[in-house]
Amino acid sequence: MSRGKLMAIRVQPSTPVKREGSPPLLLIGVDHRCAPLDLREKVAYGAEDGAALLLGLRAAEEVRGAALISTCNRTELYLTPEPDGAGAYRLGLESAFLSRAPEVEAEGRFYVKHDLDAARHLFEVACGLQSMILGEPEILGQLKRSTERARQLGTSDAVLRKVLAAAITAGGRVRKETGIGTGAVSFGFAVVDLARNIFNRLEDCSVLLLGAGETARQVARSLRESGARELVVANRDPARAESLREVFPDLRVVAFDERHQTLATSDVVVASTAASEPILGSRDLRQAMRSRRGRPLLVTDLGVPRNVEPGASRLENLFLQDIDSLQQLISQNLRRRREEVPRVQEVLEQELLRLEGGLRGVSAEPLVAQLQRQAELIRKRELKAAASRFPTETHDALEKLTRSLVRKILHHPSRQLRDLGPENEQEELVRRLFQLDSTDSDPR
Amino acid sequence: MEAFLQISVVFLPLLYLLVAAGYGAIFFADPPRARKIFPKVFRGTLALHMVYLVVLTWRWQQFPAATVAQALSAVAFAVAVVYAFVEWRGGVASTGFWVLAVACLFEILSSLLRTPNPPYREIFHNPLFSAHAGFGLLGYAAFAVAASYGFLFLRLYSEIKRRSFSIFFGKLPPLEVLERMMSGALTAGFATLTLSLVAGIIWAEQIFHENWLHDPKILVTGLTWAFYGMVLGLRRSRRWHGRQTAIASLVGLVAVLFSAVGVNLFFTDVHGFL
Repeated sequence: MSRGKLMAIRVQPSTPVKREGSPPLLLIGVDHRCAPLDLREKVAYGAEDGAALLLGLRAAEEVRGAALISTCNRTELYLTPEPDGAGAYRLGLESAFLSRAPEVEAEGRFYVKHDLDAARHLFEVACGLQSMILGEPEILGQLKRSTERARQLGTSDAVLRKVLAAAITAGGRVRKETGIGTGAVSFGFAVVDLARNIFNRLEDCSVLLLGAGETARQVARSLRESGARELVVANRDPARAESLREVFPDLRVVAFDERHQTLATSDVVVASTAASEPILGSRDLRQAMRSRRGRPLLVTDLGVPRNVEPGASRLENLFLQDIDSLQQLISQNLRRRREEVPRVQEVLEQELLRLEGGLRGVSAEPLVAQLQRQAELIRKRELKAAASRFPTETHDALEKLTRSLVRKILHHPSRQLRDLGPENEQEELVRRLFQLDSTDSDPR
Repeated sequence: MEAFLQISVVFLPLLYLLVAAGYGAIFFADPPRARKIFPKVFRGTLALHMVYLVVLTWRWQQFPAATVAQALSAVAFAVAVVYAFVEWRGGVASTGFWVLAVACLFEILSSLLRTPNPPYREIFHNPLFSAHAGFGLLGYAAFAVAASYGFLFLRLYSEIKRRSFSIFFGKLPPLEVLERMMSGALTAGFATLTLSLVAGIIWAEQIFHENWLHDPKILVTGLTWAFYGMVLGLRRSRRWHGRQTAIASLVGLVAVLFSAVGVNLFFTDVHGFL
């Protein structure tokens, strides 16, 4: 990344700026756009150290709630500071990032966002808009796990819980309603995509790997994850072929010379050897197709120089793909995903609006709770004073009656307060009307 | 009743156009609303079409194939029913546009060729004739569906083969499924056309005393039947695979259209009806 771009994302606020009408939400993050891998590695958190960080932050006076997302491409700390928690930003930055990599601040390789901007960013993360591979699906699962972890640790407060839940909802909606996650964007899944366009069930397909290198391993992993029935490998060096068993224990290894016979029973062939001459000729494939009696065969040639004679593509029901065609498919899918971004943004805006409404209620919650506590206190005091004047057998009925009365009287004002949100003027008025002590704030 | 029939003649093609356009939107742009709305519009159109055919039968007191227009409408209905079954079984609407466009074409042709007063035909009350006409229409519908899936098969096949991936790639069922749908429709069409021919021959022997075999309609239909029989035979013997069968299904549809419309309009003697 150029220096100019780095400067553009450098943000050094001393205190979070609270936007009126929305509760404070603070994001401090490092991701693939602003930090190189070696820096991201330093600030990546596992389950245990992540939990320790969150509990430490939660114990601090400045912080009301904390959640952490840590993946190979990003570490993001979401905080809800206390109303007077001006130090939350500094505390979060130092605890989560500077303690591990001081150069994060020196080089400005982080970003800070507040309130709805922070929420919007989280939504974009959930939808894969902020991912290295646009629309990649794993991030939503990672976000769900982070949310659950914060919930289990008790570090997420009501605001954070709402924001995280809304982000998960937005991510789910976007995946359902737009094409941001469709189409393969890796070689492995491009092969899976091709196979799925040819064969009815991948679960019935046998895969022949010619070559046992990293490419074969990656493609085989995608095919196996997608349900391919059988993996067979043929490699010049049998020991290398055997080494694939570490990843795929049920892999079948055949001699390299037997590859032509194995073609007859395979459905997908992945050729990725470093051979300088084609290892599958048109004649071999013609013979194989004859014995397959019309059943299609997908041959993906990932070798450079090519492992399969190009002329074989003329054979009926044989689908030969090379590295260029797979690359073309991937580029096309990425372009289609980019075209979906405006639709994704539309959904995000809808969900953000919904979140704003929800957060208004959450922000008013301490005041509503205080009002209800006050009313309950009065109810109990008056009931106690009056109890001696009523027969004992009527006490239960009195208890129910007064409870019901208080609940019904407070129902409408509580709803109105939630709808109004944390407007200072309104809050002061309510406090004066009901004689609520401004120092009696709701404990988290 | 008459007003309903007249309105339906105008509205049914329009509704089929709307449905085809909606399914086109699902295929090409896939807006979430279209996925919710148009399958319902389709089911409504199908219900209206069924009522239309029932009323038509009731109004003229005969099988609704007394004219080319009526028969084409019945074929359109059969095509739509076959697709409704496919959508219900498969749960996907991605092929809808390509099948319902054919139904739409038949329905538009039906409305354009409509005559106000179809002739009353005594022979339509013969059960053998009803079987002959009914099976024949079902066969035509099945061949139309086979041709739709044949077209989709060829399109996807050539895209993967040529390594040039368009919107079809990833939106259609896999080649094996398209081939199975196409072959199933061809087999069903051939079986029903065979039954139609058998019923027709028995019935014609009872009714006509002249040499009815010389009728162009019968000759073309016989050739069509033989063509489909050959296709299925070659496929069964594994000499033909998906691609050849798909091409044959498209060629067959041309023969079917010629047999169903062209011959009736210009050449037939015996088949004044479809």
